[in-house]
Amino acid sequence: MGGFASLGVNLPLLVVFVINFIVLFVLLRLFLYKPVMKMLDERAKRTKESMELAEATKKEFEQAKVEVQKQIEKGRQEAQSIISQAMQVGERLKEESRQEATKQAQVIVDRTRAELETERDKIVGDLRREFVDIAISAAGKVIKETLDKEKHHKLIEETLQESVVLKKS
Amino acid sequence: MRIGSSRLKILVFFFIPVLVLFGIGLVFGPLGSSFLGTTPPGIFQVPRPTVELPAEPVFHVGHFSITNTLLASWLTIIVLLVLSLFLTHKMKLIPGKRQAMAEAIVEGLLNFVESVAGKKHARMLFSGVATIFIYVISNAYIALLPFFGSIGVIEHDGKFAPLFRAANTDVNVPLSIAIMSFIFVESWGMRAVGVFHYLSEFINVRQMVEGLKELLKGKIGQGVMNIVFGFINLFVGVLEIFSHLIRMLSFTFRLFGNMTAGEILILVSSFLIPLVFTIPFYGLELLIGLIQALIFSGLTLVFATIAVSPHEETE
Repeated sequence: MGGFASLGVNLPLLVVFVINFIVLFVLLRLFLYKPVMKMLDERAKRTKESMELAEATKKEFEQAKVEVQKQIEKGRQEAQSIISQAMQVGERLKEESRQEATKQAQVIVDRTRAELETERDKIVGDLRREFVDIAISAAGKVIKETLDKEKHHKLIEETLQESVVLKKS
Repeated sequence: MRIGSSRLKILVFFFIPVLVLFGIGLVFGPLGSSFLGTTPPGIFQVPRPTVELPAEPVFHVGHFSITNTLLASWLTIIVLLVLSLFLTHKMKLIPGKRQAMAEAIVEGLLNFVESVAGKKHARMLFSGVATIFIYVISNAYIALLPFFGSIGVIEHDGKFAPLFRAANTDVNVPLSIAIMSFIFVESWGMRAVGVFHYLSEFINVRQMVEGLKELLKGKIGQGVMNIVFGFINLFVGVLEIFSHLIRMLSFTFRLFGNMTAGEILILVSSFLIPLVFTIPFYGLELLIGLIQALIFSGLTLVFATIAVSPHEETE
């Protein structure tokens, strides 16, 4: 072992150096490796989490987009149906009002016609009566004979009736 | 034109002074003066370098003498402690410059360990391997600072003993790291594959016991064969033990030899041609320090990887 001793191998010194190394090992572990490793792991974890979050957000966004599209489609359909309903109602109202108007017009026409007819009848009756009176007075004047007015009237009426019958036949 | 003038500036203010200093050193230094027979001026009379393999004691505490290499290794530990406290002062998720540097060092070493040992065992092996790397490279680099080997005390017998000397050039330091490396490798091996399984690689008596059993049962031929192979296994186990122990020696003398040679190279180069001639050798020493640290930690890592991977059962 003489060779070793001349190189400087020395047991107490060696033990001190081993202790030195162990002290350095412990110190580096405590103050360098542990905190830095913790930070690296933490960061890796955070990165993973945020990636997952981004992925989830993207998926959610896609879903929301689909949902919105669906809503828009639904709204459009509803609007379409409302418009068509409104058009139907309008059509119906128009039809109804037209029918109403026609009916009323008919009623007015009918009434007017009836009134006209009664008026005409009345006028015709008046005219007839006038005519009969005129005829009677004329006849009385002609024959200077006073005829029973009642009888006469009846007579003319019959005559007229006959003439009407004749006209008809 | 601007580039040209800046190049000219570099030439004038850097290369020419360096060349002049080199010339002065060559002519008036010990090499030149011995060839030319001139007596150099007083400031060039450099003391003849002496090579001391054992570390010189600087102080004595009781019977124990504190050597300059021990002081240097304490300096290394203090510097590393302060540096790691400084770099990991206020750790944040978004790192600043200091924290980024600490993370780069740790992550780089961790990637190195993972690339050799695999992810499974990397965390277990990391602390030991990284500490060996950092300790060796710091010892080597701190030793390149100017106050190493230059400031010291004159002992009673008139001999000069520097206050600090490169810790790696004391054979005790590489030996202590090698012992720790050995302890690391064996303990990791036992932790990874189990104590009995790990030790069975070294003391392999299974086949011999089998052979003895067969001999007792009456199968003479097979029994004798197994006993012979059992002896071979035992012998292989002994070789294995020796190879593990020899590793320590090779670790020790590889680091010790390289670092001591580097130290002597710088000493001799600065003695023969003083002033600037020694600068390239400092660069060389930077490279050697890195390489030695890589070799020491890398070999420890490789041995540890072999130890933690379960060896096949040969049937």
